[in-house]
Amino acid sequence: MEFITESHYYRVMPFLLEGLVWTLLITFVGLIIGFVLGAIFGFARLSKNKLIYGIATVYVEAVRGTPILAQILFIYFGLSDLMGVNIDKITASIIAIAINAGAYIAEIVRGAVYSIDKGQEEAGRSIGLTRNQTMRYIIWPQAFRRMIPPLGNQFVISLKDTSLFSVIAVGELLYMGQQYYGMTFQAFQALTMVCVMYLIITVPTAIYLRRVERRLDV
Amino acid sequence: MITVKDLHKSFGSNEVLKGINAEIKEKEVVCVIGPSGSGKSTFLRCLNLLEEVTSGDVIIQGDNLTDPKININKIRSRVGMVFQHFNLFPHKTVLENITIGPIKVKGMKKAEAEKVARPLLEKVGLSDKADAYPESLSGGQKQRVAIARSLAMEPSIMLFDEPTSALDPELVGDVLEVMKDLAKEGMTMVVVTHEMGFAREVGDRVLFMDEGVIMEEDLPEKLFGDPQNPRTQEFLSKVL
Repeated sequence: MEFITESHYYRVMPFLLEGLVWTLLITFVGLIIGFVLGAIFGFARLSKNKLIYGIATVYVEAVRGTPILAQILFIYFGLSDLMGVNIDKITASIIAIAINAGAYIAEIVRGAVYSIDKGQEEAGRSIGLTRNQTMRYIIWPQAFRRMIPPLGNQFVISLKDTSLFSVIAVGELLYMGQQYYGMTFQAFQALTMVCVMYLIITVPTAIYLRRVERRLDV
Repeated sequence: MITVKDLHKSFGSNEVLKGINAEIKEKEVVCVIGPSGSGKSTFLRCLNLLEEVTSGDVIIQGDNLTDPKININKIRSRVGMVFQHFNLFPHKTVLENITIGPIKVKGMKKAEAEKVARPLLEKVGLSDKADAYPESLSGGQKQRVAIARSLAMEPSIMLFDEPTSALDPELVGDVLEVMKDLAKEGMTMVVVTHEMGFAREVGDRVLFMDEGVIMEEDLPEKLFGDPQNPRTQEFLSKVL
């Protein structure tokens, strides 16, 4: 027993669990906001209005065309500098995940809505449903089902992306691991456990998603 | 009941309808036949504005559909449409497919809408399928549900866009049977079809379309028995 509790694999855990809480918090809150952004910009990308489409396209392409590390630094240092205020690290991280994931989710939303057969809209409209009703009751429920696998995928990506926030000293999982081996010089053990913690979240998610995908296939 | 005046429809530079004039009277069953690409489906889709009209007038029970102030949703609820590929809502049960129109468009309560839906399901011979999902139905059953879905809105006109073209041959009969019953009950129907037997037997009038115009129209026995236009003769000699 002592052999285990004395080992660094074990002693790093309190640090990592604290880090994991922040990692999950940033991921979940960021993705919830990101989903709202994604839905708004996804529909904007489907709009026939050139201006709305244009704004959404600029957003999506700007985010997808720049590294997330640059984005987090831009939000945390760049915006603070510009506005002369300090943004809280956690807030900056949540904003970064939201904006970043929002762009990818916008493409997920656009793709899913676009993939629904045109006949569905025609059938809805032909019984007298309005455009909005058709979207809400006919198109969206079908599109949302198709969005579940790519959204789960985005969850895994965003979760891993939070590790980048260690550069601004957010106490997330990787950062806490670094803190530990900074004190103890036990980098191998600490980083092994950091990776194990990520895998504990990501592997079951991947397995679950594969199951959902198979079910949606039929 | 429906008056179409000099209807033109273009997709980009491609003019699909080149001046259609037609008059469809109440309780009349009009079948539209013609080769593919003749514009017959486009014509039908203009009758409930699933296609925007380029120019001309479509007047349904006094309402001109090309009037920009018209509430098209209201008109569509009076004009039922049945599609070649059924277009049932796959995430809803058969019963929900039928009740969604009455509930969302007419504001009926769920129970009220089901009271409308169940007799319709019986009418199309699918009472036992109320709680099934569309994917478990055969093509013919799907199309009969689609007909019931349209009828639930109590339309005064029904449009059929090649309703049996996507069906296995042995399933065609059931769908035509339902349509025949509707015709007998006095429903005003416009049917784009390749089923010449149906057109001849059930149609009050047959329109032959080709190259974006109505080439010939007549009573079925006359159009099939003694076509006047050489294009009609050529088409019928190929399909009959």
